Amino acid sequence: MAQPFIHTKDLWYSYREDDAHSTPVLRGISLDIARGEYVAILGHNGSGKSTLAKLFNAILEPDSGELTVAGTDLASPELTEDEIFALRREVGMVFQNPDNQLVATIVEEDVAFGPENLGVPSAQIRARVDAALAAVGMSEYAGSEPHRLSGGQKQRVAIAGILAMQPSCMIFDESTAMLDPKGRREVIETFERLNREQGITVLTITHYMNEAARADRVIVIDDGRVLMDGTPREVFANTEALLAAGLDVPQCTALVHALRREGVALTGEPITTEECAELICRALEVQ
Amino acid sequence: MATLTLEQVSYVYNPRTPFAVEALDDVSLTVRDGRVTGIIGHTGSGKSTLVQLLNGLEKPSSGRILLDGEDIWARPKEMKKIRHRVGLVMQYPEYQLFEETVRADIAFGPRNMGLSEEEIAVRIDEAAAFVGLELSLLDKSPFDLSGGEKRRAAVAGVMAMRPEVLVLDEPAAGLDPRGRDTILQGIRRYADATGSTVVIVSHSMEDMAAYCDDIIVMAHAKVYLSGTRDEVFAHADALASVGLDVPQITKLAQLLRARGVELPQGIYTVQAALEALRPLFQ
Amino acid sequence: MKTIAFGQYYPVQSPIHRLDARIKIILAILFIVCTFLCKNILCFAALIVAALFLIFMSRLPLGTVLRSIRPLIFIMIFTAVLNLFWTTGETPLFEWWRIRIYEEGIYSAVFMVVRIIVLVLGTGLFLTYTTTPIALTDGIESLLSPLRVIRVPVHEFAMMMTIALRFIPTLSEETGKIMNAQKARGVDFSEGGLIRRAKALVPILIPLFVSSFRRADELAMAMECRCYRGGKGRTRMTVPHLHARDFVALVVMVAFGAGILYLNRLGIGYSVP
Repeated sequence: MAQPFIHTKDLWYSYREDDAHSTPVLRGISLDIARGEYVAILGHNGSGKSTLAKLFNAILEPDSGELTVAGTDLASPELTEDEIFALRREVGMVFQNPDNQLVATIVEEDVAFGPENLGVPSAQIRARVDAALAAVGMSEYAGSEPHRLSGGQKQRVAIAGILAMQPSCMIFDESTAMLDPKGRREVIETFERLNREQGITVLTITHYMNEAARADRVIVIDDGRVLMDGTPREVFANTEALLAAGLDVPQCTALVHALRREGVALTGEPITTEECAELICRALEVQ
Repeated sequence: MATLTLEQVSYVYNPRTPFAVEALDDVSLTVRDGRVTGIIGHTGSGKSTLVQLLNGLEKPSSGRILLDGEDIWARPKEMKKIRHRVGLVMQYPEYQLFEETVRADIAFGPRNMGLSEEEIAVRIDEAAAFVGLELSLLDKSPFDLSGGEKRRAAVAGVMAMRPEVLVLDEPAAGLDPRGRDTILQGIRRYADATGSTVVIVSHSMEDMAAYCDDIIVMAHAKVYLSGTRDEVFAHADALASVGLDVPQITKLAQLLRARGVELPQGIYTVQAALEALRPLFQ
Repeated sequence: MKTIAFGQYYPVQSPIHRLDARIKIILAILFIVCTFLCKNILCFAALIVAALFLIFMSRLPLGTVLRSIRPLIFIMIFTAVLNLFWTTGETPLFEWWRIRIYEEGIYSAVFMVVRIIVLVLGTGLFLTYTTTPIALTDGIESLLSPLRVIRVPVHEFAMMMTIALRFIPTLSEETGKIMNAQKARGVDFSEGGLIRRAKALVPILIPLFVSSFRRADELAMAMECRCYRGGKGRTRMTVPHLHARDFVALVVMVAFGAGILYLNRLGIGYSVP
């Protein structure tokens, strides 16, 4: 079997409040993520899901356990600064607040920021910036000022900024939480396309069920542990456990479970509205 | 305790310049006394402008805003009084917290109203209870609270002013499901206990369906639909045509109806769908 | 959406807009030197002609350009009056009590006013009106880069400028939001004496500081994630190239300076010291 892109085993991390006190946030996380996967990491605020993302990008250092990302051992005490920066080029991160991650006053200048830091030759930066802006559908805004864009557009510029570094993985740390439904859709469609067309590994950290349902795989984090790990279908089957972890289930899933509780024979775990309609229609025809 | 009425209100940003944008176009609507009214629409539909107009932060370009029949701009010098009667909670209100303790921050509004210290103390406890803020948190610094708690503290700060009309702009934005339910339940509790008129602005159809009595749908600077929750959700197809995210369960009902399943209009909660489907399976 | 008027940059296409920012900074400095070299009426006439030529070349509306002088009217009057009364000459034109006004006084008052106007117009036309803030920052960075040898943090300074420019609109919008939120909680910014008004700012300033620190924190993290490690080993997307027009502009400016020096030596009319 090929080496997983991200590998963790019994990963622990605590926030140190002062010298005497520390609160464990991650309590033994073990998981493997393969190259090219589209994974949603789900959990309520304070479950540890954002901390996990920051460990993947070497923003935080683990207390103990194994952590390998893109072949770099991030738990190693001999980790050099060069290795950290090489990893960050490989694993890009898009944050929650679209305003606080754009550096330059012009969109294309901002997208160029990453490649400039990497020391990419000038002529190539131009090509990368144009390609990245085209990939997120923001080419026509290349000369705009970031503060005049909508939230969704700002986030797409942030994605382009990461894309211009040519990463193999992108982590979205609640990147849709501050957006309206339209902006949310823009961002999700953008990273789904990058996953599909460019094979970029996508990790989206969210507390929105409808977003997680679109991923190939859902990992539910609760109280610093992996509560569930599987396809959306497998995960949403555990309606009660999800609710107990402070999460929602899609309304269709909730309906199917409620019907089943009342004795209606429904087989399968529908995720999308279409699947649910199909399932109910078939059950009605049988009668 | 109070009715808000908009009469042919228009609002234009940057008037008489090439950048003029009409945010509200001849809008007439009524927010009914003692009800929880949801205002829903896209970004740019005019709903955020509407919020700023309701308590006199912005002045309409034309038209009148009436609080219990009285034009709020009749005496601009007394706008402060209007702001005490119409409380406004802006988007991400936790960014307005500044006092040393949560208690002092909640007291800020009531103190500006010139209330006595005894009255303020009563109101702090009452507001904290509405939003479900534990009393032990009141003596902490607001900056030490979690995101959801900060949001609740900020909302409590306006509730403590006991406005006749409480207007909230996206009170659940960015919160996780538990945080969202806590704050919306708190608002509902406040409305039911005090009988105050409440206006909630949101773009979540599912939240509106669960917590509001009346719904006003804004689109393209105009009122697109308005009425009780049932009346508005009966027009699910019309909502979809202005690109609003109808609840998933409503979409399901549409799909089932299209395939010949006989379902009534206006299914917007899991419970309603269950009730409608149950007889079909018997 | 409210548009926040920001900076003075006036987006039109003009020969001056197209010049390289570094050259424009040098031109502005040379132009300032020229205004100070001017001594006699011929020089000042040449200066006025040059200023009009610049306005024409910048394709800016005259009104916009003249408006930039308005804030300086008080200083101009003050300087004019000082020169008028304090310059002594041979025969007073006018005498009353202890006030004597000489012909020389009138000349130097007029010259000073012309100098101030041209100075402000010149820097505005070369820099703020025709150069974007970002190009200006890059230009300054590039011109100052030799100072890196003596450990002046030129890149860091330019990066700070860029970030400040980026966040001014964001923070001004945020200030408006916080003000509205506190107004809704009963703060009145227009009421009461100085102390009361100052106190009313506390509920604005604290949230603004807290939020600025949070933003700074998040921005720093985002920059690190985008592999920012300071100026070392950094490349730039746009490497400015000097064109023929940049050299032409420079030659014209030097010639203008030489012309001013020549006119000074003609010694026609009154000459300011």
